Amino acid sequence: MLKKTFIKYIFLGIIFGGILFSGTMNTRGNTSTGDIKAGFIYVGPIGDYGWTNAHHLGQEMVAAEYDWLTTVYIETVAEDTASVVQAVDTLVSVEQCDVIFTTSFGFMDGTLEAATKYPDKLFFHCSGFKRAPNVGNYFADFYQVYYLNGLMAGALTETDKLGYVGAFPIPEVIRHINAWALGAKEANPSATVDVRWINSWYSPTAATSAANALIADGVDMLAFTEDSPTVVQVAEDNDDVYAFSHYSPMQSYGETSTISGQLVHWEIMYDEILTKIHDDTYTNTNLENVDLLWFLGEGAVEVGGEFDEPINTVFEADLKAINLTDPVHGSISVYDLIFERLDEMNDTWANVDFDPFTGPISAQNGTVMIASGVRASIPELFSTMTWFVDNVIGTIPAGDDGDSTPIDLVMVLFGVLALGAFQFTRRKK
Amino acid sequence: MAEIINPVLGQSIVAAATFFLIPTLGEIYTERSGILNLGIEGMIIASAAGSYAITFLTQNLWVGIIFGIFLGGILATIHAVITITFNRNQIVSGIGLTIFGTGLSGFLGRDVIGKAVNGLDKIELPILYDLPVIGPIFFNHTILVYLSYILVPVLWFILYKTRVGILIRTVGENPSAAFNQGVNVRLIRYLCTIFGGMCAGLGGAYLSLSWLNFWSEGMTNGKGWIVIALVVVSLWNPLGALFGSYLFGSFDVLQFSFQQIGIDTSILKMMPYLSTMTFLALWAIILSQQKVKSIVGAPTALATPFED
Repeated sequence: MLKKTFIKYIFLGIIFGGILFSGTMNTRGNTSTGDIKAGFIYVGPIGDYGWTNAHHLGQEMVAAEYDWLTTVYIETVAEDTASVVQAVDTLVSVEQCDVIFTTSFGFMDGTLEAATKYPDKLFFHCSGFKRAPNVGNYFADFYQVYYLNGLMAGALTETDKLGYVGAFPIPEVIRHINAWALGAKEANPSATVDVRWINSWYSPTAATSAANALIADGVDMLAFTEDSPTVVQVAEDNDDVYAFSHYSPMQSYGETSTISGQLVHWEIMYDEILTKIHDDTYTNTNLENVDLLWFLGEGAVEVGGEFDEPINTVFEADLKAINLTDPVHGSISVYDLIFERLDEMNDTWANVDFDPFTGPISAQNGTVMIASGVRASIPELFSTMTWFVDNVIGTIPAGDDGDSTPIDLVMVLFGVLALGAFQFTRRKK
Repeated sequence: MAEIINPVLGQSIVAAATFFLIPTLGEIYTERSGILNLGIEGMIIASAAGSYAITFLTQNLWVGIIFGIFLGGILATIHAVITITFNRNQIVSGIGLTIFGTGLSGFLGRDVIGKAVNGLDKIELPILYDLPVIGPIFFNHTILVYLSYILVPVLWFILYKTRVGILIRTVGENPSAAFNQGVNVRLIRYLCTIFGGMCAGLGGAYLSLSWLNFWSEGMTNGKGWIVIALVVVSLWNPLGALFGSYLFGSFDVLQFSFQQIGIDTSILKMMPYLSTMTFLALWAIILSQQKVKSIVGAPTALATPFED
């Protein structure tokens, strides 16, 4: 009897898990008068106030701008090939989409698979590196912005200790931590960056605990990679602790404790791509070499905790009062240096006048990773950066690539075991 | 130990533990009356969204919090109608409630994503705050945390020392006997289930208006399920709930301090779950002794429909 009920619970767990991870479908703008119908596949819910929310806002802005464009999206799609292909099937055969945007790194193989299945449709995959005649890539990166945030953090810290709540130890997050640390070092040579990993892109409860652990160790400047305003609010709750907002404008969650942050403008990229599809520059046969990687220069990213406010006005006076000696600009206030740097980086990646990852840059063990006067290449920044610069004091755990989510499986298993234990402790009638 | 008595970490543990404690207390009452409600996660997340949205609309925290409690109660009533009036399967109904609550949360919270609300302020309790070590850890919190301090002994007292408590436990242990004594079994089960829902609702309001101070979809990360396990860990006793919640909260928070020692993060992330599972296993072994079981085991009629 016991065995039978236990098996029943395991089945329940599996069924429930299946329900949890299956996608939900939403259509927007049903007027089918447009020439192009674009379908978006999201990894999270549109209400996450981070990654998916930013893509969704960008998509909505572009859809509102052109009357030849209609959009449709599927949210919370799992990152396995079968789920992606299934979502594309729906978008292509039911919704009659002409172009599909897959907005998560984990959708890469699924996108390639679906592109083979529908060779006459166009596909754009965000943040990946695999392409095909009908699959292009696009991405907007923050590392220049993190560097500018680092300048502010280094200048304003009282304890010389900065803290970073990191999602997963992958090149993207490591690059951002390094850029932040390089900026801090430039403004304050004794500033160090401590890192805590939460192994999740979205876990407000873990982020709050990690941020508090950093504060307990004396950190007074916080930056993070996590899709919620949690860390900003932890800073707001603690006296003399400040934070940098991430991805979405979060300054309103900490008016007096958000110094600046990183903001994204996906609408600029969607506008570019969809306009080029509309005027037939992009077709289903010429996307093999389309790899849009945009930065400050293209306007794909912005510095600030609020749009059009690069530095929270509360901190302007402080930053103007701190002077640095720069080899090019001489004696200059941190505030002015930030705007000089913004100006210098206001160009395409290859043509900028300044790049944070210009040598000499050493790793934690003292090895020179980027030689003096040399600029790090795109592959060095985006694929092989698995080391921390020398003023970061955290460690990079090996083996977790951010693709797998074993914790979800642990949770389901946990639920099943809890029910089993409960069943076991019951007294017989 | 030095880590635990650090006031920032200590406060962080108390804040995390309270989130587990309040719904666990409610679920203990629900299960004591013989009803298993697996809809905790759904009630928490729906109330987190609802109370935040209402607070944003009315700009009044208390209206929001009361709405959260109310919403938890309403959702639990659905479970009560299905399982008590119609004697349907409690597990299926509870899981259904979680799925419904998760969907409802997305609907209730859709217009307040990215909108900031000033949550509950921390209050330093006079005199108590000045106590060495424990003062700053336990007595610099929002009013909901203080409420949880009061709820634990009060709910324990009601359950074990009053006539109401005896009625609740009897209904959960032997509903037929209670019925023969003229006790309204269904009424008591209804009230306990609704009370459990209200506690879950308060837990949701605590999440979005006190501990974390915003709403975004899926912000509970499935943590509501832990409550079901914590009820077993606490042996259906409000004092045990205090122990279980603080144990789980401690592991949840301290894993980030342990990262500095160089323990693998994946293992640290499993620690709260592993420790809870260890206790579940431990109880299962201890409770296999019939004598022990009759004193501290699960309510005999738990998850069993009552047919009069």
